[in-house]
Amino acid sequence: MNHVSEAGILLVMSAVSTSNESVSCRQRHDGVVVSNRNICREHFELTVRVLPGDKGGFGPTAPGQFIQIGCRPPAKVLDIDALSGDEFEITEGSWPNLKQPEMTQRLALLRRPFSLSGRWDDEQGTCIQIVQRVVGTGTQWLSELVEGDKVDLIGPLGNTFTLPADRKLGLMVGGGVGLPPMFYLANAMAKAGWDAVGFVGAMTSDLLAVTWADDKPQADGKPVKSVHEFAKHAFPAVVTTDDGSIGLQGRITDGLVRYIESLSDEQKQQAVIYTCGPHVMMHAVAKLAEQFGIPCQACLEQTMACGMGTCQSCIVKIEDNNNPHGTLESGRNWRYKLTCTDGPVFNSTDVIW
Amino acid sequence: MSQTIAPNDVSLAVDLAGLKLDNPMMTASGTCGYAYEYQDFVDLHTFGAFVTKSISVEVRKGNEAYRIVETRGGMMNAIGLANVGLDAFVKDKLPQLVSMRENGPRIVVNIAGHSITDYVTAAGTISQNISVDAIELNVSCPNVGDGLVFGTDPTMLKKVVAEVRAAMRDDCKLIVKLSPNVGDITKTAGAAVDGGTDILSMINTYTALAIDVNKRRPRIANGTGGLSGPAVRPLAVYLTSRVYREVAKAAGVPIIGMGGIQYWQDAAEFLIAGATGLAVGTALFVDPATPVNVMTGLKEYLAKQGVTDINDIIGTLKMPGDQGF
Repeated sequence: MNHVSEAGILLVMSAVSTSNESVSCRQRHDGVVVSNRNICREHFELTVRVLPGDKGGFGPTAPGQFIQIGCRPPAKVLDIDALSGDEFEITEGSWPNLKQPEMTQRLALLRRPFSLSGRWDDEQGTCIQIVQRVVGTGTQWLSELVEGDKVDLIGPLGNTFTLPADRKLGLMVGGGVGLPPMFYLANAMAKAGWDAVGFVGAMTSDLLAVTWADDKPQADGKPVKSVHEFAKHAFPAVVTTDDGSIGLQGRITDGLVRYIESLSDEQKQQAVIYTCGPHVMMHAVAKLAEQFGIPCQACLEQTMACGMGTCQSCIVKIEDNNNPHGTLESGRNWRYKLTCTDGPVFNSTDVIW
Repeated sequence: MSQTIAPNDVSLAVDLAGLKLDNPMMTASGTCGYAYEYQDFVDLHTFGAFVTKSISVEVRKGNEAYRIVETRGGMMNAIGLANVGLDAFVKDKLPQLVSMRENGPRIVVNIAGHSITDYVTAAGTISQNISVDAIELNVSCPNVGDGLVFGTDPTMLKKVVAEVRAAMRDDCKLIVKLSPNVGDITKTAGAAVDGGTDILSMINTYTALAIDVNKRRPRIANGTGGLSGPAVRPLAVYLTSRVYREVAKAAGVPIIGMGGIQYWQDAAEFLIAGATGLAVGTALFVDPATPVNVMTGLKEYLAKQGVTDINDIIGTLKMPGDQGF
């Protein structure tokens, strides 16, 4: 998931499958920070551990899913004196001492949604990883966490990317904070025995939240093992930057087109495009996918409050003939669906871009 | 105060004009959907009462994105009363909702409308279900074209309340949710009481505006939205206190207080100000178990205060000028 704005933005991927029954393990969990690494300008890779004993441990997850993190110190509701209701502690002869955290610093109220970039289990529990960009109060707080700090999170949430049984070539197209779910997806593809190529784009080189591998990104858009998160599974990557500071100069779709055109018809019929990133980028990717007849799953993002299907904030227009909310001039019927529980992954052809 | 009281010995049971709750904790309409959305996160049976999102006669798809924005200490929303409509609600949602009533929360259905006929139709239809304990009238949704008219005009409010009350099953309670977007809330509170409401709930959200300074446009699609969350709590506590002292207490009409309740301390303020019921709204989005946490804290607080019955603290505020201040 990407986190795009001050309020929580959910990143989403499109899931091909309509069955997203994997929501039953959704829980609020206490987590402990394992590491928080500054990957590049404004971007942090946060790893949090949930203990096995915490409500039976963290539920099963798959790429595309997300968590909602409380971007403020966890509430100590039972500590009757910690929040005594006094916003000021007045000592004679001095200025009032501001006691409540809300009075002394900017604190995010709502949780912020983030796509999983990875997850692994060991004897100490479940480690959950996200990559986040500092864009506001909540993400700033997250960026300052250090090992041992406590966080409060809800998850796993949302549906997942799917790997169709009749295909085996994944084209993973991630722009900006849309990249993290692609890292998790690459892991799943390697396990499933797929071939895959990562497409990685950003405005400029120091905003690329990746770890560089041995090969140098190619200026002609040729895929090489340049991005560690893909290369560790032996998958190559195509890197594009708007300013050409690294890799191919241009949009992520420029790299994608070159690659798709290099494929045989047979290879195209094996391919699935997976995308997550800014709305305009995903729209462009979806158009390319349609043009080449390649199925595309898009992990959408939208501002959300709860992430649990309640607040009705994270709406997205999805083609639906069943109780439609409206009809386009083209005759397509659409319905508002929720990014958090109906998505975040949708078939790109179902999205009313 | 001298003898020690154990938190578990504190009774939280309250009686809202005959609507008996095991505890005062309720959900604020629109922050808890149709209930089942939160069932993975909290045992809904622990709540005193459950209040649905607003149901309208017609299906409402709601406003365009963006529908919410976080502001400091609060959030603004303009969802636009998105809901499945009366028929689908009664057929699909209500049976599931009332199924949790046994050994669980009382069921309150919130309704919204554009006309008295809308309100009468919705209230009459829904109250036919004997498991619906109360109907709450949303006469103050600030995010639809004409929603505020009923909520701000005392004459209109009294009329709609009286007609809805007459159309409802007799033992189904009527709650009127007051808008804070008025000059003198005691006028609208009084009108609701005169119209025959059993209970008042307060407050709905404050109409507010957040601006994207780069685009010089509102940050939510509707333009304005309703502000909720901790930022409004002191304002809500004030209005609760005023209505309790100037209207509700004398009329014997209980108040459900809400507005920024996140911790037990917030809830305690509303109780002292005169609220008998307590609704949690925005905080549910952060943690659906907030009402449970608030209850735990309240019991400890009341025990420390030497209070064994929560009713003994309701409306105990002393203001400057009061006897015994």
